[in-house]
Amino acid sequence: MKKLLALVLALVMGLSLVACGNNNPPAETGESNPPAETGTETQTPEESTPAEETTDPDSIPDSMTSEDGTYQVAFVTDVGQLKDKSFNQGTFDGVKLYAAANGLSYKYYQPANGSEATDEDRYNAMKAAADAGAEVIVCAGYLQEAALRRAAMDYPDIPFVFIDGYPLTEDPENPDSAVLTNVAGIAFKEEQAGYFAGYAAVMDGFENLGFSGGGGGTNDACCRFGYGFVQGANAAAAELDKTVNMNYSWQYGATFSASAELQTMISGWYANGTEIVFACGGSMFQSISAAASANDGYVIGVDVDQSGESDTVITSAMKGLADAVQWAVGHVYDGTFTEIGGTGTSLGVEDNAVGLPTDESSWRFESFSVDDYQAMYQAVLDGTLVVDNDFSKLETTEWSNVNLNII
Amino acid sequence: MTFLIQQTLLYAIPLMIVALAGVFAERSGIINLALEGIMIFGAFIGVLFVNLVQQAGVFDAAKEANNWVALQGFELMAMVAAAIMGAVFSLLLSFASVNLKADQTIGGTALNLLAPALVLFFIRIIANQNTLQMASGDAASWFMIKKSFFGYGRNDEMGFFGSTFIDKTYIATYICILVFVILSILLYKTRFGLRLRSCGENPQAADSLGINVYKMRYAGTTISGALAGMGGFVYALTTANCASTGDVAGFGFLALAVMIFGNWKPLNIAGAALLFGLFKCVAASYSSIDINGDGIFLLAEAGISPHFYRMLPYLITLVVLAFTSKKSRAPKAEGIPYDKGRR
Repeated sequence: MKKLLALVLALVMGLSLVACGNNNPPAETGESNPPAETGTETQTPEESTPAEETTDPDSIPDSMTSEDGTYQVAFVTDVGQLKDKSFNQGTFDGVKLYAAANGLSYKYYQPANGSEATDEDRYNAMKAAADAGAEVIVCAGYLQEAALRRAAMDYPDIPFVFIDGYPLTEDPENPDSAVLTNVAGIAFKEEQAGYFAGYAAVMDGFENLGFSGGGGGTNDACCRFGYGFVQGANAAAAELDKTVNMNYSWQYGATFSASAELQTMISGWYANGTEIVFACGGSMFQSISAAASANDGYVIGVDVDQSGESDTVITSAMKGLADAVQWAVGHVYDGTFTEIGGTGTSLGVEDNAVGLPTDESSWRFESFSVDDYQAMYQAVLDGTLVVDNDFSKLETTEWSNVNLNII
Repeated sequence: MTFLIQQTLLYAIPLMIVALAGVFAERSGIINLALEGIMIFGAFIGVLFVNLVQQAGVFDAAKEANNWVALQGFELMAMVAAAIMGAVFSLLLSFASVNLKADQTIGGTALNLLAPALVLFFIRIIANQNTLQMASGDAASWFMIKKSFFGYGRNDEMGFFGSTFIDKTYIATYICILVFVILSILLYKTRFGLRLRSCGENPQAADSLGINVYKMRYAGTTISGALAGMGGFVYALTTANCASTGDVAGFGFLALAVMIFGNWKPLNIAGAALLFGLFKCVAASYSSIDINGDGIFLLAEAGISPHFYRMLPYLITLVVLAFTSKKSRAPKAEGIPYDKGRR
């Protein structure tokens, strides 16, 4: 009995210790720049800009070593991985493309503690960027709001680009307080991209859909994607005069990471007849595409064209992260940042910032054609088709042609 | 039903094989608390092996030609690589507890601390982030056995047995069951097994009969390390899309609980692992489990909070251990460093 007690105690101790052990390593390495220390993949900006700009962001190294140790364009990641093949990667592609085209040095900073990063961790990442001589800091993700507010007040001379964000005031409690003019908030009309994806999927013949979103339902961008997706599916189903089913879930996505539980849940959906799932959240894509691949199902990607990641991806609800970043950072370097600083910009079809990929290799619908898509796109552009963005109405709306099963 | 059985097996098999790993170490007299750490390390090695071989393009032709037999061989090689490095990693524990006569729980805890840190360190160097994934494709498209391999079309039925135990399965699952059976027989029906067990009960007596206790304990812990390393990779392959993150969701510790619940006996362990696997599966997919195939999702419609289902595996662990621990009979000499001079 005593021995057993000792074993159980040791087990508890081991568990708690390992819990710390898990979190600490990224904390120690989070803000450093490992490749620079290991000496691999080093490249000077001069070498990387041979007159002509590179268009494939993957051919630009993620890490570079500048000669004077300063990094002009800094990127602070959201939760999840840098190479999530989605939100972080798409944003960082914009940073790399702009920097490479203009001969600037760039560096990414991952806040410590991974998906459990605190505001302090994020602030430290921004501070590290500022201390390394950043001339503009791109921050991805609405989670960075509090840290960004603090950093923007501490470094009033550095312009910040807040992707998936909005203008910030000095005092979060008081909306009338001074607006921080060095923060440019950039948001997207995700509901339009979601609408396109939902409409196209149903028009192509899918009748059992799924939506698996990240952020636990607190991420506005994901909520807009999902709300648009339901609207699109409903509109297409009404047009075809049929009723479609949709599972709608925020479970196992709170940290935007892949997990065994998520994979099991989505496998369950596919096993019960779901044909296509909208994987709306960074690294969650890994779990969902694995489940789809195992069950011969299909996936709708998010943020960037993910058709190259898996044959199961039939389309992707894209937003022009890379373009938006280049556009905003461009404003910094041509001296017109004051135009966008302190304001919120919402980019949609009229800015060519949301949509589905229409390349031949990415277009995998069978009956829904690119022309059909372009007609729908044009309708949104003309204003004849309006996609609502007030996602709070998702649950209160009576959907005429969608059986919405919110899990 | 098919779905429930398949997913339960996916969770239960790694637990079962790792719990057996614990049995081998403890039966030889070494408490192997490091199961979690060895699993993490094994998962990393397996994924790294897959990643590197993919990058080298060795099996690209086989993948193109849909030569699934070759891909199963690739999967086996990765399992063997994980097992070998798991065994090597466990030598640290053997050395500390056999040669240095160190406290085994502390040695195991040290390895549990070391493994995730070490693995994350390497992953950051290799992949520039906190996750190491396959170089291309996903686990299911490379390694999963599908009915199309046997000439069945997308809409052909395989029958209950075929669709449950052949379609959408991994060969790793069956290899693990096979290894489990063979090693259980080894432990109970062979001379080696008897000697190993005697070292965990009364090493002095074993030594007096000419058995080298140190060698036996090294053997037990090394087999344990190999199994745990393999189990870690199987976990990563089948449930985590062949990705290594320096974490196996506490499966090593759950395996320890399964081992205690199973009373250090293979058959009981298999049963216990299936029980835990079932509840892990229910926790993740209660909303889409249709038990008898009548289109009614009983668990989802029962009106019970989802949080309750997610707590279930851990609640069951607590309850079951509380009721069974009285009867549990650990090997007598486990945790005590063997000292020839002591009586």
